[in-house]
Amino acid sequence: MSLDDGDQTHGTPCERACERVPTLEHEMTPRAERIVDGVGESLEEGVLPAKVFNDEEIFEAELRRIFGQCWVFIGHESEVSEPGDYARRYIGKDPFIFVRDEDGEIRVLFDSCTHHGAKVCKAEQGNTSHFRCPYHGWTFKNTGDLAGIPLRDQAFQGLDTDEWGLHEASRVENYKGLVFASIADEGPSLEEYLGDFKWYLDVHLDIAEGGLEVIGEPHRWRADSDWKSGADNFSADSYHTGFAHRSVIEVGFAANEISGTPGQETQRHVTHADSGSTSLRLLEPEDEVFFGYPEEYVTDENLSDEQYDLAAACGAATGTIFPNLSFIHLAATNDPDKELDGFFSLRKWQPVAPGEMEFWSWVLVPAEASEEYKQRAYDVAVGTFSPSGNFEQDDLAVWDGIAEAAGSVYAEKNGVGYNYQMGMPGMSKASIDEDWHGPGTAWDDNLEEGTCRTFHGNWYKAMTDQEIGMSYPEDHI
Amino acid sequence: MSQRATQKPDHELHYECVSFYNHEAELLDTKELEQWLELMTEDIRYDMPLRVTRDRGSDRSEFSDEGFNYREDWSTLDARIERFQSEFAWSEDPPTRTRHFVTNVRVKDVDGDELSVKNNLLLFLAQGEEADGTTISAERHDVLRRVDGELKLAERDIRLDHTVLPMKNISVFF
Repeated sequence: MSLDDGDQTHGTPCERACERVPTLEHEMTPRAERIVDGVGESLEEGVLPAKVFNDEEIFEAELRRIFGQCWVFIGHESEVSEPGDYARRYIGKDPFIFVRDEDGEIRVLFDSCTHHGAKVCKAEQGNTSHFRCPYHGWTFKNTGDLAGIPLRDQAFQGLDTDEWGLHEASRVENYKGLVFASIADEGPSLEEYLGDFKWYLDVHLDIAEGGLEVIGEPHRWRADSDWKSGADNFSADSYHTGFAHRSVIEVGFAANEISGTPGQETQRHVTHADSGSTSLRLLEPEDEVFFGYPEEYVTDENLSDEQYDLAAACGAATGTIFPNLSFIHLAATNDPDKELDGFFSLRKWQPVAPGEMEFWSWVLVPAEASEEYKQRAYDVAVGTFSPSGNFEQDDLAVWDGIAEAAGSVYAEKNGVGYNYQMGMPGMSKASIDEDWHGPGTAWDDNLEEGTCRTFHGNWYKAMTDQEIGMSYPEDHI
Repeated sequence: MSQRATQKPDHELHYECVSFYNHEAELLDTKELEQWLELMTEDIRYDMPLRVTRDRGSDRSEFSDEGFNYREDWSTLDARIERFQSEFAWSEDPPTRTRHFVTNVRVKDVDGDELSVKNNLLLFLAQGEEADGTTISAERHDVLRRVDGELKLAERDIRLDHTVLPMKNISVFF
């Protein structure tokens, strides 16, 4: 509801009284607009203007056009398994409460008292029936309904409490346990938004008997990197593993044929699958790799034969769902003397400031695995992909240089662009795998960067108010 | 602390613990990591649980019993140290300059050959030309065990004063 349409009869008094600020949603500075236009043009040549990784005006526009519009990952339903369970989460920089209410419904409430705006949720996680504002004591049920006002009979006699519950994200949807929210009133449903990429996401979410569950709380840490550097890397950058992660392969935390040298015959990249792209490190289906899971934990019940065979062959997969949710499904170890075991990790790149992000990471394991296996898988995740992860340490160690250069006057004056041309004609032997069974465009060589171009292409679409979803060859990028 | 197999008065034990920590900090700060590992017992448990802000009235500890930044044994510590020797370990290139300040050493309990010791850690980190550096604050709950007359670290629980880590990675030991 807005005042724009002249309709004064609907919505809460707050909505009727407060005009939405249209400039925030639909405009950006002329300078930012020029940078965004430049991205569209140069991406067709496989070049990405450096500025996008560190620029105040671009960042402000991203918060509105991307995080104010798209479906953003909030958390996994297993984190709020009981009524009253809650966790504080963010959409862009905005604070929300991810909560399962008394009736069992999952809600994403805006963490701000409807009276004078103070935050009502002080803990990161917990269980509560009510949220009470510390300022004047307004109290809200975990449904968001306003339940109590101190001195109400003297102070707010005429107030209709039905109209002053906590605000909430306009739309909340759950896809196989993954809860997303959008603060845009309108737009595609979550499933429409995920589009073709659902086929790949399903392989990860449905391969384990009983699905996946989160272990522990998410890791959270800060880095002087732009949120897009993480999304870009996982979207996926297979080229870096042989160099950036060489020490990990040398010591034996993972197998070279699974996580090391790119350019091997069975490795695939999938690009232009609507919301996402992915890297698949494959052996053969007969190898029954299943991302490192013991065979007794996997099931073919919810997957097509092609999806099941893909999981059976796959030792490692990374991917990014636009804008800021990535994942890794990996067979690895925290101890070179132990065998490789599998875990799944969801990662969220939360924008904090231009060139600065907060990194959130969740570890998931097959819900019906033995307790011993779950703990083992968690240890493997800590040893590989966590703040202390032997892989992850080295990624974060290099990304901050990208933001530093991107924020430079030199980059701005000279129009510095980064090279994303791998896989374009004449660059590598990557060609389209015509026999591929899944959606999107599959490449028979992972020495190509169409994955990253898919992510940045979606960024361009979102920043120019187009629905995301890339196809090839219609979208040449 | 009335019963002690070690047969030493309190101040001597305290001095011995402080000396252990001073020596340990020196090895860490000079990157003598293989020698540092020799201070551990073979069954070392080296944990850094996640810390999570909970409701003030919550009966749950802020220290997670399920989520960890480190949950190591001797072998995984050894593998991490081996990786740092690689010329491709970018998180430690250039090496992080560290200074471990260990204070408030309290011997809480003595049980046979084992001492339960709490101490405070202020860890300063700086890398490259970073001007400000990063300061991490924690309490360490240790178990020191006497092996062949020498104290060794048998358990360490690193209890951070941070929930969101103010650092891009954990590439040092605490």
